[in-house]
Amino acid sequence: MAAADIPSAALRHHDLCSRGIRLARKMRSDVTDLLDIYVERQGLDASISVAAVDGVPAAAAERWAEQSGTQRLLDNLAAYRAFRTLLAQMLEEQREQLGDADAELGPALAAVLLQVSAFAYHLEELLELESRGAPAEEGSEPPAPPRLSLFEQKLRGLGVLRELAQWAVRSVRDLRQLAKHGPGTTLEGSGTALGLPESQ
Amino acid sequence: MWTNPNLRCLLALAILCLTSLVHSREIGSQGDPQNLKCVTHNLRKMVCTWDISSKRRHGQTEFCYTIDDVIPKCFKTKEKKVEIPVPGSSTTVKITTYSISGTAFATRHFEIHKKDISFVPLAPRILSLTPDFSTSTLTLKWSDNGSAFPYGLDASWEIEILRKETMEDVTRESYNSKLTHEDIIHSWNWKSDMPLECTSHYARIRHYINITQFDGHKDWSDWSPVEVVPGKDTEPSGSGLFPQDTVVAVGSNVTFCCVHEEGRQVQRMSYGAKDYPLIRLSSRSSAIRVLNASASDASGTNIVCRMSENGMDGTVLFVGYGPDTPEDLSCETSNFVIIKCTWKPGRASGLYGVRGTKYSLIESISGKNVSCEVNEMKKERVCGFPVLADQKTYSFVLGVSNPIGQTEASLLVDLNQRVNPETPEKLTVSENSSTSVRLRWFINGSFAEIRLLCQIEISSAHSEQKLHNVSMPGGKFSTYTAQLNALHPYTKYRFRVRCSAADHFWRWSDWSGTEEHTTLEAPPARGPDIWRERSPSGKSLRIFWKPLSLSEANGKIVSHEVSCYLLEESLEHKEVTEPSNSTEIKLGRNDCVISVVAKNHAGSSPPSRITSVELPSDNVKTDRAVAMGNGIYISWNSYPNMTCGYIVKWCHSSGSEPCSVDWQKFPSNTTDAVIKSALFRPGVRYNFSLYGCKSSGYQLLKNITGYTKELPPKRAPNFTVEETSSDSILVKWEDMPIEDCQGFLEGYRLSFAKGEKDSLKPRLLESGNPELKVKNITDLTKKSLKILDLQGKTSYQLDLQAYTAGGLSPPNSLYVVTKEDSVGLIIAILIPVAVVVLLGVVASIFCYRKREWIKETFYPEIPNPENSKALQFQKNICEGNKSLKTLEMNPCTPNSVEVVETQSAAPKIEDTEMMSATTDTIVPEDGSDSETENHVVVSYCPPIIEEEISNPPMDEPVGLSQVVYIDIQSMYQPQIKPEEESEIDIVTTAGYKPQMQLPVSALKIESRSPAEEESDKTAGYRPQANTNAWNMDTPDSPGSVESNNENASFGSPCSINSRQFLLPPKDDEDSPKPSNTGWSFTHFFQNKPND
Repeated sequence: MAAADIPSAALRHHDLCSRGIRLARKMRSDVTDLLDIYVERQGLDASISVAAVDGVPAAAAERWAEQSGTQRLLDNLAAYRAFRTLLAQMLEEQREQLGDADAELGPALAAVLLQVSAFAYHLEELLELESRGAPAEEGSEPPAPPRLSLFEQKLRGLGVLRELAQWAVRSVRDLRQLAKHGPGTTLEGSGTALGLPESQ
Repeated sequence: MWTNPNLRCLLALAILCLTSLVHSREIGSQGDPQNLKCVTHNLRKMVCTWDISSKRRHGQTEFCYTIDDVIPKCFKTKEKKVEIPVPGSSTTVKITTYSISGTAFATRHFEIHKKDISFVPLAPRILSLTPDFSTSTLTLKWSDNGSAFPYGLDASWEIEILRKETMEDVTRESYNSKLTHEDIIHSWNWKSDMPLECTSHYARIRHYINITQFDGHKDWSDWSPVEVVPGKDTEPSGSGLFPQDTVVAVGSNVTFCCVHEEGRQVQRMSYGAKDYPLIRLSSRSSAIRVLNASASDASGTNIVCRMSENGMDGTVLFVGYGPDTPEDLSCETSNFVIIKCTWKPGRASGLYGVRGTKYSLIESISGKNVSCEVNEMKKERVCGFPVLADQKTYSFVLGVSNPIGQTEASLLVDLNQRVNPETPEKLTVSENSSTSVRLRWFINGSFAEIRLLCQIEISSAHSEQKLHNVSMPGGKFSTYTAQLNALHPYTKYRFRVRCSAADHFWRWSDWSGTEEHTTLEAPPARGPDIWRERSPSGKSLRIFWKPLSLSEANGKIVSHEVSCYLLEESLEHKEVTEPSNSTEIKLGRNDCVISVVAKNHAGSSPPSRITSVELPSDNVKTDRAVAMGNGIYISWNSYPNMTCGYIVKWCHSSGSEPCSVDWQKFPSNTTDAVIKSALFRPGVRYNFSLYGCKSSGYQLLKNITGYTKELPPKRAPNFTVEETSSDSILVKWEDMPIEDCQGFLEGYRLSFAKGEKDSLKPRLLESGNPELKVKNITDLTKKSLKILDLQGKTSYQLDLQAYTAGGLSPPNSLYVVTKEDSVGLIIAILIPVAVVVLLGVVASIFCYRKREWIKETFYPEIPNPENSKALQFQKNICEGNKSLKTLEMNPCTPNSVEVVETQSAAPKIEDTEMMSATTDTIVPEDGSDSETENHVVVSYCPPIIEEEISNPPMDEPVGLSQVVYIDIQSMYQPQIKPEEESEIDIVTTAGYKPQMQLPVSALKIESRSPAEEESDKTAGYRPQANTNAWNMDTPDSPGSVESNNENASFGSPCSINSRQFLLPPKDDEDSPKPSNTGWSFTHFFQNKPND
């Protein structure tokens, strides 16, 4: 029975990775479009450089290649949970500032938020398959962010979307790595092995 | 220099001193105490100061003053200033100066009048200077120190605002107040055009008290000490772009400043996409000024400050309009629960979200107000206000505000006059009878205090739409009912309802949903319209009835009851079910009264009666009717004895079905009618019968035929040719059936012209044939026509057409050939025969008379070739050939004529035949053949030396022992290219043919030598035959190898005299044989064909 479970788990793992890659690609495409809309609607200069925004996880990792599959999934999950909060906040601010005036930016933002939520759920599923289980979200409400000026809100939104676009790319790569090596295998150069599903 | 307030103060003090000096009367000797001047700050005490002119050191000064002649008061002081009470009118002052040792060395007396005293209030003290950074407003507070002054004094205040570290003047503004003998704290606001964060702002104040009862000089107080509001640039860590997230009106001027940390530099500042020039405020603050700001986007305009070391700061400015005054504010209720107010917002503010325009509805009578949630993207705004109990009049104020401004609109309404009821719903229809129904509907609202007016729309397929108004008392969320009468039975109606207030109409509600209902059936309203016709045999009677209209049937007719009565006795009774509209009753020869009753589910109609009696009629005429519009106009004379009117009956026939009878009844005073029927078709003849109605029966008065529209006949009549002669044709045609006529036939048109059946000429009637003749036959009884004056043995085309008022039918055509004229034929034969005979006789006589000349000319006894031009040889050809002469009568030995040809020595050809025998030469195209090869041996042998010919010289090839014929034609053959030569079969011509025109193309002629051209001109006869027909495909045949040019022989040997082809030798079977013996004029005179 355990022997039968392993191919089934591998198959499901592969399927989840494939679907995740598709989701991430679609998300990347939509975030790119959203960035264009955002920059235009907010009157920002597309070349404006935005310093790292507090609370926005960075996609770049120093030793990305050395990360284990589980670590990758955990990093991704943490990032997308953060993005989910940030995007929801952006959406709220958008509604507050623009009301019914903008019929394009709000829906586009909501659509990306939905994709981010779906992707986070997808990552949780993958982690479940790794027999790790997704770490619980922090129960208490995150501390209220300092009240930002409108300009700072605009910049932060830009930073969030840019970083989300980066993360979408990274997620595709991470999931490819996961798909290539399958569940329960040690990634190349990794110091940590993905936990094999134990036979019972 | 004068801008420095300190300097100004000093100057003012100096002027004041001078003035005091002028006005104080110095009593003592000149010198020591002098320049006494007194200033009061509060009108109770005054401060007097003086100068001592001596430079010597002095000790104390004794100051004595007397007010109002009271005992003088003296006191000693080391200063040169004393404070004494302000005198009522004047005071006398004595000032004595003492030396240090205590001896007096100078005394001066002064008299101070009240007018010499100056009034200068004390400098005010600023209580607070408070900034409001969000609005860039400074609030200044100070006390007026009014308790020190009498009540009611006017005080003027001057407030000065300074900015930047250098304390540059920004503004100086005035403020007036009245002193109330109390210390009042005043407050003054000033809105800065620059954010207060940008740099430090300062304020100071002074005042002037206008004491009218004070005679002395009055002056402004000193400036108060400055109060400062420090800018962000003074804070050690202060930075930012100011103002932050503000909203201004379109057209405003706005200053933005960028405060940064020490050591950084502002590189540029942009407003939107545009950089603005920097205004330096301090070492840590720079600003830009945007003038006449235009409306921003929904997300505002970004202002970005870029600093050194990649520093950046930004802010957002929203530029929009203040709220527009709402237009068309209107309030109404649809249910007495909520008052719905609507308005048009006017110009858009351009501000959205939290900055968008806010509306609030305030009812001023009750004092209640509601905040209105509106959709900014909709043009019309709606806000609801609850209906208040026991309040009918409402005074609404619609307050409108946004960050730029606010406005309002107001409306006073009596709610009972602003009722627009909710849409009626749940409409149901219940029936009472066949002509009435009851409608019920529900309105969601409380209308207990008003009456409602409801409008019911009634529509049916067969009648116009009707509106029925019902007024009823309103209820609280009630169901309303209405009864509708006078409806038509068995009719499908559609109902819908809307309501309004009955007493004060304001607006109709929307229509309710439509409800359909069909009323009940009722008995038919009348009996059917009937007619009867007796069968041709007279033994039966067919009764017809027309279906009742829907409005008369009152339901679905299921059957007709037909009865036949004779003196109240029922002879026959029949029930005919739908859809039949006739029935037959066998009466024999009897008559009866027929009764027909229509029946539906609700009952029977009143009976319709008609008698079967048909009165005899004489001389019934048949008239033609006139078409009129879509109908047929019929008229008749008035028949006075027709007491019960007239009936026009006709019959519709459609195809093979028996015609259906139709009729129309007219009152007795009618004499004409237009009969119309949807079944009438153009081009169809209708026969109408006019019956008169008498009490005793019906009488046929006349028959009428007519068309609603006449059409051209469908076809032409069939016609035949009965008889033809050399100059006439008799044609005969048949009658046309009435169905084909499609109108009243008016005549025939016979057209004829010469023409053959299969000729390609266009049809007779289609072209303007000049020979076309037309005969119009208007006598319809005529069925034949003889066409006269025709030509014999000529084909004619005949077209026959019939025509009506509608036009001509298509033609029927016939082709007829007239007979030959025999006399003419005989003449035509005889005359040429006679002419020929006559010519023959004349020719015979002529020949007979000139027979000698003819003989000499054409047929001499001994033909002399030399006398014949046609048979002459060229002398130069024969020269060098052993004086060979043609047709020399001497016995001849076989001769060989070798012709050696050189092009240069080409003989002048005079006779082509000679050329064929002697000078025929084939010149190779390239002319490369040697002369030795280029020769021809011509052998000639008359028949009489045939034996010798059969023994040729041994040194010659067998093939060359024969006469080698050279066709003169070969000279003119196109020269063949060498490579083609071997492939081409040599074909030679045979015989002679007269060819004055050589079959040589001009191009070939051009390639020939002039000698050859000359020979063309002189050419007489030439051997002629189709060279192709001579298939000389044997290698040994003469001339078969043209390339060798030896033994090339073309054509046939011929007799010069006879110019007949000579047969080739018998052993040369492969040689070409003449296929064309031809015919020459010489034959005519040849007596011996074998020669």
